[in-house]
Amino acid sequence: PTTRHVDMSKSESDLAINIRKATNIEETAPKRKHVRSCIVYTWDHKSSQSFWAGMKVQPILADEVQTFKALITIHKVLQEGHPITLREAQANVNWLESLTRGISGDGMRGYGQLIREYIYFLLAKLAFHRQHPEFNGTFEYEEYISLKTINDPNEGYETISDLMTLQDQIDTFQKLVFSHFRSGANNECRISSLVGLVQESYGIYKFITSMLRAMHTTTGEDDALEPLRSRYNAQHYRLVKFYYECSNLRYLTSLITVPKLPQDPPNLLSEDDERPAL
Amino acid sequence: MSKVIRGVKNVTKGYSSVQVKVRNATSNDPWGPTGTEMSEISQMTFNNSTDFYEIMDMLDKRLNDKGKNWRHVLKSLKVLDYCLHEGSELVVTWARNNIFIVKTLREFQHIDEDGRDVGQNVRISAKELTSLIQDEERLRKERLDRKSWKSRVTGIEEY
Repeated sequence: PTTRHVDMSKSESDLAINIRKATNIEETAPKRKHVRSCIVYTWDHKSSQSFWAGMKVQPILADEVQTFKALITIHKVLQEGHPITLREAQANVNWLESLTRGISGDGMRGYGQLIREYIYFLLAKLAFHRQHPEFNGTFEYEEYISLKTINDPNEGYETISDLMTLQDQIDTFQKLVFSHFRSGANNECRISSLVGLVQESYGIYKFITSMLRAMHTTTGEDDALEPLRSRYNAQHYRLVKFYYECSNLRYLTSLITVPKLPQDPPNLLSEDDERPAL
Repeated sequence: MSKVIRGVKNVTKGYSSVQVKVRNATSNDPWGPTGTEMSEISQMTFNNSTDFYEIMDMLDKRLNDKGKNWRHVLKSLKVLDYCLHEGSELVVTWARNNIFIVKTLREFQHIDEDGRDVGQNVRISAKELTSLIQDEERLRKERLDRKSWKSRVTGIEEY
């Protein structure tokens, strides 16, 4: 029916070029056009197998900047690629983990710790998606408005807890990125890893907010939900700080809209189900 | 100059009149697409499936063009926006099935030779169009009431 016409034979070799260029040795952000091509490929072919295969033949371990750019690219493809990407990624968990062994200490240009933490986060993300296949890569609220989890309070509680754990991991990683900025240097490569983190943390935040609200309304168990509420409030303040710091990075704000949260967390007990603005 | 070359290309590459229309509307000229061009293209989406696919394939190609041709991308977003409102129902289905094409343009980047961030217009347009395609109710409403969006897509603007 109304699908795109794609030249399948040409795109395979193009993909290899795009992966190579996205993960090249230059200390910049992975070029968006190459990352985008990788994403579009997974949609056109409804498969990410060639993306993973292409990634594995790159000498990304040869250089810490290349490794870091590969991780940013992988993160973006997991987020925006065809949903099958998240499923197929599970078979590559061991390979991803093996990348930690390639870097010792802090590395020549100071990416060592960042690489280890990024891999740790990506593995946690993949573990989450393995447990909760109903979520997409960016946790977009709109597409899952009728999530079934709120019908079963126990499952809902679990899911929210797991989302909060992932949110904590994003927070740990973003703090590490900020602490690794080098004064007087162009931090574009490091900053570009924050793009995916801002988007993902906001998706998770919106989800948690509406799910917690719905749980309060449907169960009426305010006391039982207290641990989640206090954890939610603490995360809210950390996110406000994270977004505030991001809003001072011109490179980042030119690329994406950094969300602005109210200073104080919204009241989850209130009846009005006003969603946090986009 | 570019107009002459495009004219030659249209002939040597054997583009159909429908394809030529889309190519002209989404060219690198620093103006357009005009309301007339967009209106004609959106009408042609009703013709037959050959014309429909020629239009969508050409828009698709333009949407995936490289940074240097950012005007192709920006203008194609405008034409697509117009066709989503005035064109055939098939355009809506096409856009839904291929939303990732528009969605992934929300981070489009290009800095021109003068250091201008010309990607920003693309990012903004892609963001607006993504939320429109995702909001079925709003799109339905806007397809019925066309005034609310006209200001966004009509008129000759300079880029």
